[in-house]
Amino acid sequence: MTIQAAPPTRPPAVVPSRPAPRRRKRRPDLFHTLSRVLVMLIVIVQVYPLAWLFLTSLRSEHDFATGDPFALPGSLTWENYARAFETGNLGQNILNSFVVTMGANVLIVLLGMMAAYAIQVLGFRFSRLVRGLFLIGIIVPVQIALVPLFIDYSKVDLLDTYQSMIIPLAGFSLPMSVYLFSSFYEYIPKETYEAASLDGAGPYRIFGLITLPLSLNTVVTVVLVNSIFIWNDFIFANTFVLSEELKTIPLGLQNYIGAMGKVDWTATFAAVCVTITPLLLVFLVLNKAMIQGLESGATKG
Amino acid sequence: MQPTRMLPNRSRTSVLVFLLPPLLLYGAAVLFPILQSLFLSFFSWNGISDMEFVGLANYLRMFTGDDIFWRAFANALVYLAICLVLQLGGALVVASLLTSLRRGRELVKTLYLLPAVISTVAIAFLFVRIYSLEPVGLLNQLFAWVGLGGLERPWLSDVNTVLAAVSAPEGWRFTGLYMLIIYAALLAVPKELEEAAVLDGASRWTLFTKIRFPYIRPVWITTTIMATTYGLRGFDIPYLMTNGGPGQSSELLTTYMYKTAFTSTDFGYASTISVFIVVECLVAVGLILFLLKRKADA
Repeated sequence: MTIQAAPPTRPPAVVPSRPAPRRRKRRPDLFHTLSRVLVMLIVIVQVYPLAWLFLTSLRSEHDFATGDPFALPGSLTWENYARAFETGNLGQNILNSFVVTMGANVLIVLLGMMAAYAIQVLGFRFSRLVRGLFLIGIIVPVQIALVPLFIDYSKVDLLDTYQSMIIPLAGFSLPMSVYLFSSFYEYIPKETYEAASLDGAGPYRIFGLITLPLSLNTVVTVVLVNSIFIWNDFIFANTFVLSEELKTIPLGLQNYIGAMGKVDWTATFAAVCVTITPLLLVFLVLNKAMIQGLESGATKG
Repeated sequence: MQPTRMLPNRSRTSVLVFLLPPLLLYGAAVLFPILQSLFLSFFSWNGISDMEFVGLANYLRMFTGDDIFWRAFANALVYLAICLVLQLGGALVVASLLTSLRRGRELVKTLYLLPAVISTVAIAFLFVRIYSLEPVGLLNQLFAWVGLGGLERPWLSDVNTVLAAVSAPEGWRFTGLYMLIIYAALLAVPKELEEAAVLDGASRWTLFTKIRFPYIRPVWITTTIMATTYGLRGFDIPYLMTNGGPGQSSELLTTYMYKTAFTSTDFGYASTISVFIVVECLVAVGLILFLLKRKADA
């Protein structure tokens, strides 16, 4: 216990002697104002481009091409959105992204739980080796798989299918999922399992009745974190998918670059706004859970 | 060390039932392709004709006879450096400032993370327009307003600026992610430690270097590794914005590998470059662990 009460805000005491009360009050305020201004500036840099994207999607083509890029739209128009839907296949693209994200997530969650259960709960001789193998997938870049998978897919006729995107996306996300699940399983007390074992439950029933239901919170984390990367995947889709009907959102957006590289910017921006809306909504609604997930993903992984 | 075993009686089969399906997927998508790349890197193959074993010829070509490779390697390092400064530097500054903010922390966190949920294609479109000169984009307009009109240029077709111009969006989009992680770590620094240091007359700077930073070092190592491996695999934004151009001035190893594989259909040589990228990532992670851990012990 210190005799003086600790100051509520930390004074920037450069001098070894304790600052006088009046200085203590003034100096931190300057510091706080400065940091508040700086934080606000940085937030503007982060957010303004996105706001600009949205505003531009509401400007008329002529207004945007000739006017000041920073200007607010003179009159709002939805006509860009109509053109965006005419040019592209937005509905189909969104549906495809949805299928791929769902498919990959089911695999990541289910297989991640199973691997973590085997490693952490059942335990076996080479469990440390298997853990190490999964670490490789976090470190190596995804590009290493492009050429081999392209060759393998063409042999087994998987090119240009949903699976061709789902398999590598799930495979490369699996390690993080295994780590998140196993670090959670560490905290399930041994006694829970022992009690169930005494009641005669085998490893399958214990998985289904105890481990799986307890994991639901971690499932949310795993799904949220991975969905950002899977929903936005460009490289696997671009390499393995050709047909228009299978194109996911990132590929669909490329259709807006017309012949000779001429771009209908306002319609493109409208399309971009449409395609980022689903994930953005999920993010804004669930941002607490998502932020927690991202934090734990890094500190535990 | 004895492996953990929470269930006293479980059969060997049950382990296999749970372990095999995940390993199968992971093996097919990740482990096997790595080995395949290693194998292919010793061959010359265009995907149609017969594969021809060439020994180390691809590696010789890469290290001694390929200027584009070295150019791309140098560019990739610059790209990585810019990403690291923006992401880790920016993240650390904002996270530190955020801890001294009294209100609105949650809002700042959310807004700051916003770019991370947007697809790289959308970001590429956005930045092409931000950088453009004709019609004037946001960046050039901004320079004109603050009286730095001399700096106006077509950022993406100027060979001197294009590399920085394609690196910045990648840095920009993930700063929020790393800020979040570092901020969470900073919050975990025990208040008693900080208060004691303040009572002893520590300045803000000493407080940061002597108390806060050492405390968050493990998380800092993780974020550095994350940011580095992500920076080294950067591909989408340069590929979409400039496709490595003009010339090779924004070519990265990843874009060069991609073009070698899927434009020149030289699968053997592309695999050699992939193997190099993997080795580069492993070396980078090793170096980070070595340097940051050693400093911690010193």
